[in-house]
Amino acid sequence: MRSKFELMFIGITIAITLIFFVVIGSMFLIPTFDGFINALFSEEMVFAISLTLFTSLISATLIMICCIPMAYTLARYEFPLKRLFKIIIDLPMAFPEIVVGIALLMFLGSNGIGNYLEILGIELVFNTTGIIIAQFFVAFPFAVKVLYSTFNYIDPRYEFVSRSLGYSEIATFFNVTLPLAKKGLFASGIIAIARCIGTFASVLFVGGGILMKTETLAVSMYLNLSTGDIDMSITAGILLVIISFIAIAVMEKYAKESYSSSF
Amino acid sequence: MYLEIKNLSVDLGEFHLKNVNLNLKEGEYLVLIGPTGSGKSVLLETIIGFYKPIKGTIKLKNKIINDIPPEDRGISIVYQDTILFPNMDVYDNIAYGAQKKFSKKEVAKKINEIAKKMKIDNILHRNIDTLSGGEAQRTSLARALIVEPKMILMDEPFSALDVATQSKLTSLIKNVCKEYKTTCLHVTHNFNDVWNLADRVGIMKDGNIHQLGNTSEVFSRPESNFVADFVGVQNIFEGKITEISPEVAKIKIGDKTTINSSDINCINKINKKYKEIFNEKNEYINKEIKVLIAIRPENIIFSNEKFESSARNQMKGKITEIIESGPTVLVNVAIEDHIFKGLLTKSSADILSVKKNKEVYISFKSLNVNIISDHEKFNHATIN
Repeated sequence: MRSKFELMFIGITIAITLIFFVVIGSMFLIPTFDGFINALFSEEMVFAISLTLFTSLISATLIMICCIPMAYTLARYEFPLKRLFKIIIDLPMAFPEIVVGIALLMFLGSNGIGNYLEILGIELVFNTTGIIIAQFFVAFPFAVKVLYSTFNYIDPRYEFVSRSLGYSEIATFFNVTLPLAKKGLFASGIIAIARCIGTFASVLFVGGGILMKTETLAVSMYLNLSTGDIDMSITAGILLVIISFIAIAVMEKYAKESYSSSF
Repeated sequence: MYLEIKNLSVDLGEFHLKNVNLNLKEGEYLVLIGPTGSGKSVLLETIIGFYKPIKGTIKLKNKIINDIPPEDRGISIVYQDTILFPNMDVYDNIAYGAQKKFSKKEVAKKINEIAKKMKIDNILHRNIDTLSGGEAQRTSLARALIVEPKMILMDEPFSALDVATQSKLTSLIKNVCKEYKTTCLHVTHNFNDVWNLADRVGIMKDGNIHQLGNTSEVFSRPESNFVADFVGVQNIFEGKITEISPEVAKIKIGDKTTINSSDINCINKINKKYKEIFNEKNEYINKEIKVLIAIRPENIIFSNEKFESSARNQMKGKITEIIESGPTVLVNVAIEDHIFKGLLTKSSADILSVKKNKEVYISFKSLNVNIISDHEKFNHATIN
């Protein structure tokens, strides 16, 4: 027999979840089946899906390459201004994504280092590279946060034992630390991809939001909404919901403990 | 010396070591005991190379190892919670270090050999999370021993085990370490580990080793108030030396109570330290040297009547409290303002029919009266 307190809290939880479900799920009811299928296989949508997956995979790979040494450093080593480093890396999680977009545009554009890069023949804004940079900046803090928790969670004495048994610091990192952090690495990778796929405002600013050129799924949703093509817009939204749902479900299943702790 | 630590200091903020000095002979089993937070684990992890000392040297086989990385020191460690790699089975855990040193064929042979000795040959392919506490600790020990280390450090290896498993593992460790002629440094807060395993014992507190010596010596002749208290010497009294000869010191602890001590080491120290205590006729003239004396409860003998004995100390008192603890009984006897605590077996207590307010005689040998030499007041005693 559940107590009144327990029943009340479960009731609140169910009510809130239902509201979320109804609001998100209502999007699935808007387009007609034919409208959805036509939008899904349209040239523009296929381009948006491909570009989103392509840029997200590259960004997530870059994020993981940079994230592993950084998360390990923050978890294991002490150095001056470590707390400040953590705050700076966490910042993009706290303020609106649009701020990251504007900051990047200012820095990489003609007001920043853009002119110098142009002389060298390098263009970092309003193209695919710009999208990858924007996704990197938005998703990186989330990935570091998860992986930092994972490394923090691993008892350093596993590494001590490995080293006492004849393995160098690097060999210990690859033989002991990384295998023990497997679930956290997986969770970090999933969250990085999910964030990259869902990034909108910064991608719009740095990528330029150009139709069939820098049009990711999130940007496609915005562009089509502004031109009144509801079917295209909602289809892009539904795809984003499905991708996010899969990413979170996979992460919940395989990496609960790594995801739950925090900075 | 096999391991020689000189003036070792480490500062980890919360934990620290200060001027630790320690020597170990080859094949010796040294147990360091001390309260939680005394720096025992930090000392082990500094010896193995995980923390860098701010001062002092660690010499292993006549070579200073301060700057040698842990992987090249040849020292293994066994932790209380085993720290077996959870992503490997028992076999792979044991093989982990061995495969770095030996060929695959040799590793298999050695694992087979050591697994039989450690009685884990039937669980070699089990996952770590299915092992009992004893099995996990035996696996951890096998993993440490198989690499043929120069020495093994043990960080409270039995603390997480039940009493029966502790006792089995203690005799196993004793035999295996003897067989492999392994030099062991074991830290613990359990006195049983000291009695069962130690060739020598060190008492640690606040990042320092307060006393180091043979087990019986440290337990019967504590050199400081802390050591006396820590090793369970419950009778500690302050007194003044009223007479002293090369063999015996008479220490007055109350108006009518004088205790004889034959703590020769300390008497010699006193004689050396206070040259002015005798006059030209070799008569003791200083009556003001204050000392602390310590008597272990198990060295106090109870009787209902006065009796002739070789014990130089015998006195009458009244029982004030009787505390039963398992098979033993702690009996408190008041003599003047002092409470003497003596230990009896339950059957002895029954034979003597000890009860509150009963008058009894207590006796103890002068050899068992330890003068604590580093007592602050003693060191600063004024010579009148």
